[in-house]
Amino acid sequence: MSAEAVVADQGHAADDHGHDEHATTTGLSHTKLAMWVFLGSECLLFGGLISTYLLYKTRGNGRTLPTDVFDIPFTSVSSFVLLMSSLTMVLALSAVSRGEDDAGRTWLLATALLGGVFIGGQVYEFTSFVREGVAFTTNPASSAFFTLTGFHGVHVSLGIVMLMSLYVASVKGKLTQRNAETVEIVGLYWHFVDIVWIFIFTVIYLIPAD
Amino acid sequence: MRKVADVRTPALARAVAWALMLLGAAVVTGCASDAELDTFAPKGPIARELHTWGVLPVFWIAAVVFVGITIAMVWLIWRHRVRSYEGDDEWPAQTHGHVPLEVGWTVGFLVTMAGVAVIMVLSLPTVDATEVNTVDVIVDDHSVEWEPTVVVVGNQWWWEFRYYFSDQVDLADLRAHGDAKTLPPADIVTSGQMMIPIGEEIELIITSRDVIHSFWIPALNGKRDAVPNRFSPWKIEASEPGFYFGQCTEFCGLSHSRMRMQVVALSPADFQSWVDDTTQDAVEPTDPDALAGLEVFSGICTSCHVIEGVNDDVFESADQASGAAPNLTHFANRSTFAGGIFNIYNADGSLNRVQLEAWLRNPGDLKANYTVPGEQYRGMPDLDLSEQQIDDLVAYLSGLGKRPAGWIIDATQVE
Amino acid sequence: MAITEKTPLELGPGDTARYAERPLGVFTRPQGGRGWRDWLSTVDHKRIGILYGASAMFFFLVGGVEALLIRLQLAAPEGSVLSADVYNQVYTMHGVTMVFLFIMPLAAAFANYFIPLQIGARDVAFPRLNALSYWIWLSGAIFLNTSWIVGGGGADCGWFCYSTNSGVAFSPSHGVDFYAIGLQILGIASLVSSINLIVTCLNMRAPGMTLMRMPVLTWMLLITQFLLLFALPVITVALFLLMFDRLFDAQFFNPDAGADPLLWQHLFWIFGHPEVYIIILPAFGVVSEIIPTFSRKPLFGYEFMVFSGIAIGFMGWGVWAHHMFVSGIGPISVAAFSLSTMFIAVPTGVKVLNWLATMWAGKLRFTVAMKFAVATVAMFTIGGLSGVTHSVAPADTQQTDTYYIVAHFHYVIFGGGVLGLFAGLYFWWPKVWGHFLNERLGNWNFWIMLVGFNLTFGPMHILGLQGMSRRIDTYARGYGFEFWNMAATVGSLLLAVSVMVFIWNVVKSKRDAPHLPPPGPDPWDARSLEWSIPSPVPTHNFDTVPVVHSRDEWWHTKYAEDDDGRVVRVATVEEAAQTGEATGVHLPSPSFWPLAVAVGLPLIGYGLIFNLWLALIGALVTIGSLYSWALEPVDDPDAAHDHHEEDQEAQEADDDGDEP
Repeated sequence: MSAEAVVADQGHAADDHGHDEHATTTGLSHTKLAMWVFLGSECLLFGGLISTYLLYKTRGNGRTLPTDVFDIPFTSVSSFVLLMSSLTMVLALSAVSRGEDDAGRTWLLATALLGGVFIGGQVYEFTSFVREGVAFTTNPASSAFFTLTGFHGVHVSLGIVMLMSLYVASVKGKLTQRNAETVEIVGLYWHFVDIVWIFIFTVIYLIPAD
Repeated sequence: MRKVADVRTPALARAVAWALMLLGAAVVTGCASDAELDTFAPKGPIARELHTWGVLPVFWIAAVVFVGITIAMVWLIWRHRVRSYEGDDEWPAQTHGHVPLEVGWTVGFLVTMAGVAVIMVLSLPTVDATEVNTVDVIVDDHSVEWEPTVVVVGNQWWWEFRYYFSDQVDLADLRAHGDAKTLPPADIVTSGQMMIPIGEEIELIITSRDVIHSFWIPALNGKRDAVPNRFSPWKIEASEPGFYFGQCTEFCGLSHSRMRMQVVALSPADFQSWVDDTTQDAVEPTDPDALAGLEVFSGICTSCHVIEGVNDDVFESADQASGAAPNLTHFANRSTFAGGIFNIYNADGSLNRVQLEAWLRNPGDLKANYTVPGEQYRGMPDLDLSEQQIDDLVAYLSGLGKRPAGWIIDATQVE
Repeated sequence: MAITEKTPLELGPGDTARYAERPLGVFTRPQGGRGWRDWLSTVDHKRIGILYGASAMFFFLVGGVEALLIRLQLAAPEGSVLSADVYNQVYTMHGVTMVFLFIMPLAAAFANYFIPLQIGARDVAFPRLNALSYWIWLSGAIFLNTSWIVGGGGADCGWFCYSTNSGVAFSPSHGVDFYAIGLQILGIASLVSSINLIVTCLNMRAPGMTLMRMPVLTWMLLITQFLLLFALPVITVALFLLMFDRLFDAQFFNPDAGADPLLWQHLFWIFGHPEVYIIILPAFGVVSEIIPTFSRKPLFGYEFMVFSGIAIGFMGWGVWAHHMFVSGIGPISVAAFSLSTMFIAVPTGVKVLNWLATMWAGKLRFTVAMKFAVATVAMFTIGGLSGVTHSVAPADTQQTDTYYIVAHFHYVIFGGGVLGLFAGLYFWWPKVWGHFLNERLGNWNFWIMLVGFNLTFGPMHILGLQGMSRRIDTYARGYGFEFWNMAATVGSLLLAVSVMVFIWNVVKSKRDAPHLPPPGPDPWDARSLEWSIPSPVPTHNFDTVPVVHSRDEWWHTKYAEDDDGRVVRVATVEEAAQTGEATGVHLPSPSFWPLAVAVGLPLIGYGLIFNLWLALIGALVTIGSLYSWALEPVDDPDAAHDHHEEDQEAQEADDDGDEP
């Protein structure tokens, strides 16, 4: 069987090269692999929350629905801000991995700031929704809306905490070219959270309720 | 290799094991029962078809596979068992697998399951599709064409059955937009016992006012959950007049085990006469005890219960979590009360006064309930009635409606 | 917080000591040893495995007592041992305890202990995260059970806790709050553990240990971890919705506001059905190790076994609504889920036949482990076939929510899962403890358990078909339920006896051990790598990391087949096994921080229920501990070791810090 042969080959190859104590089986570091695996799990978390919202988005119990009070232009701007933060995240990683610590810090800070602007926008949006009569306990639609976007907001906030920790580490001189992978891993998380928002923005805000 | 040759199953344990297994097998195969809820004793055409085509074939298939695998396993154990490990260092041929064989039994299982799938697809319409013929029923001297439908509403811990004879209530609309807590007034509202005419497929529209329950009359069909905010279709049919037991099967809280119901299948004439009786308002009492009972009822019981002619039919009780309690207009016309668990009549046809009085004295003793002051009740609370009040209430309630036929009272006695 | 994890790499040893000696000035770095305190700070996967196993057995007794109460209540009609209220709490907590606090952690014990050994690794990928998983699990388990004391009773909504019965109006005690928050805590533990073990399996295999050479136990455990990884977030969503409804007046399950109670059922069973495979696959793995060993043949059709496991893992996601055939989900969904349910029986059936084919023409040695393993196959077959009978949706309308279902899933979970894991206990006991479990007592244990099991759950098939509803606290006379309920109660007492025999066996075997010859590295003439090292396993597992050339690597080290296919010994165990005497192997240093992080979580739980200030304290404990953990280098600079064996442990990151 050819499959057997391949397997044997691999075993043989490992023999020849002896065993490299620092290599992992897949070649990815444990931490990066763990982050990928974790993000896989997160997909299901947001999948569950988005499904819940989609089921409930028209269930207003005779009261105002979230879709009635959406301010699409405003949310578009804050979505754009969040998207831009992915760009700055890439720039941060690139700077750190080239050893440009100052530039790296600047981009990390920029990413965190853009994230902060997004969160600020979400806080403003939430308060204005509550003023317009859509609170957490108003109806199933509003509960689902606030839970979904709130969960996303918490994820962004945790990302900001991680970015700021990276920033502090960098200031203290503990984040350099050698551990640029840490930035990459935080970046993976950050991009994931952004992508989830693109989903949420499209599915929740742009597709109208019937 | 460790020598474990001397370690054998204790002979006594083995003997006991075999004896018990044989006993078990004997009893399982020879098991016949007259249990009232027996799923293997279908009595209506739907349940019979379900049993014949939906249940039995797959049981046979499972049994054949089970016997096959068990025989193979016992044979393997018997044939290849090493009785003493001493000096046994021989190795059998090292077979790593046999692809054609494995593909073979994969396909074998696929084919078997495809067979089961065909059975499923064929038997699915048995329980689901409905073809309802209309039945002529005379209501208030008018003949109406009734599409035999009963709205079934689960409550903690009793069932309500609502009959809409006139077509003024659009049941399709009710199903799409209805609210179990504000159902339109019905021609008949009863609880615990559902009366149906024989020989007709009865469509059920099942919902709930509080938690999820499940409506199940094993002799007539499988079960269907009663889900709040949903109106689920189901159907039953009885070909013979009879008394068919049921039990709530979805866990619904404290008295889940004491939430029962019965379906009483009547001949068309008996059904018509039941309709004649139960579409009337409640009997007005004449006897002084019963009149006193009416007074007690009006003062205390009406905060939850309805008796047509005494308080309004469209009624929502703020005291109950479900917003409703059994409609007692024709209380004495049924053979069970308190969620289908107690007999109203003794075997000899006399009023089961002991049980009724015990219930009124403290329902919580007989059926677990939740009656914390200041919160909504679930189940009937202790009303602190005096013995006089209890006697008067029994006198009043026992006069509400005609006593059911003797065979119904007989069938009710299960013990 | 991945960031600070890495910083130590940047620093020379002197620098590290400056800030890392006492993070936040609380704990001195533990150094490891054999005292009880060292169990609190251990990061050794084997000790964590033992902790999981011991705790699981404790909760087995708790759940067992609950089971006995249920059976005593139902022994006769109109039982009055428990009130309806208490009965509902007891049976709910019985289910929750057995699933989340017994069988899952017992499987986790096997996973923790044996995955690294079977793939030739020195530890898991993230040793401290591994400790964290255990401590979070334990804190969740204790939290859940404290609801008996401070929550006004256990949850009373059944283990699947259907809405709307789980709402405050219908379940006013705090039991359901404890259920919702407790399961979230347990979920974090399992999620962290699954990430850890997946990375371990994928990334830490010994040279030559390709995926298709991994022992089947490791394979099944890997599939289980993937199921956990994807199933847990779904129930997390459901539990959050329930918690928000109960504690913060959200409207997810309020039908008066237009909510749909079936949302809970969908979310729960999307988790709940894969959960069944999470329970059963580890036992399949155990059986797949034991039957070949005692048949003295390789596993028949390794590829089929692996791929059928994977197939079960995949198909397990498409069958959840078979729990909802009578919920009113519509005939199309019912038909579709009925079909998918039937076809998941195919890979399962393949497994059964492959086990039988492994035994075929073998030389079967019926040790207690083998007896349990074969019984697992037999009992699981019954459970699987009764499952097929109600995969037919119309038939299920008669059977669901009756004792037939109770019988079915106990045959699967007890007959398949628990018997399988008991087989594993007897099989690997000498590896873990360095002495055998007594075979004579083991035989008593086995036969009493087998008979008691069948006597308890066998009659439930009949009761269910006779129409006995599940979850009823009493039943009336005259429905024909009396005889078989009494039989089941007698059976449950036998089960209790068998568990007592097991415990006595544990005690007696330990006492007798000094007078008996030690088992040596490979007492069963077994096949996989864990048998190539001494029993009990030395702290560093392998003196040298093995190089793997084939499946059943250890067997092939001992034996070869000559040209005629006859097996010839090429090395004795003594020659081939490692001695465990290597010194200077660097191991990750112990840490108290995982325990400290875990202590914060139940505080958050109590706080959410009783007083938000307490939640704040809990959050501070957890977050503070996480940061301290991050500041603490993986390698204790003061610990004695010669060289870095594997520096990837230094990259350990606490992804759980990203958890909401």
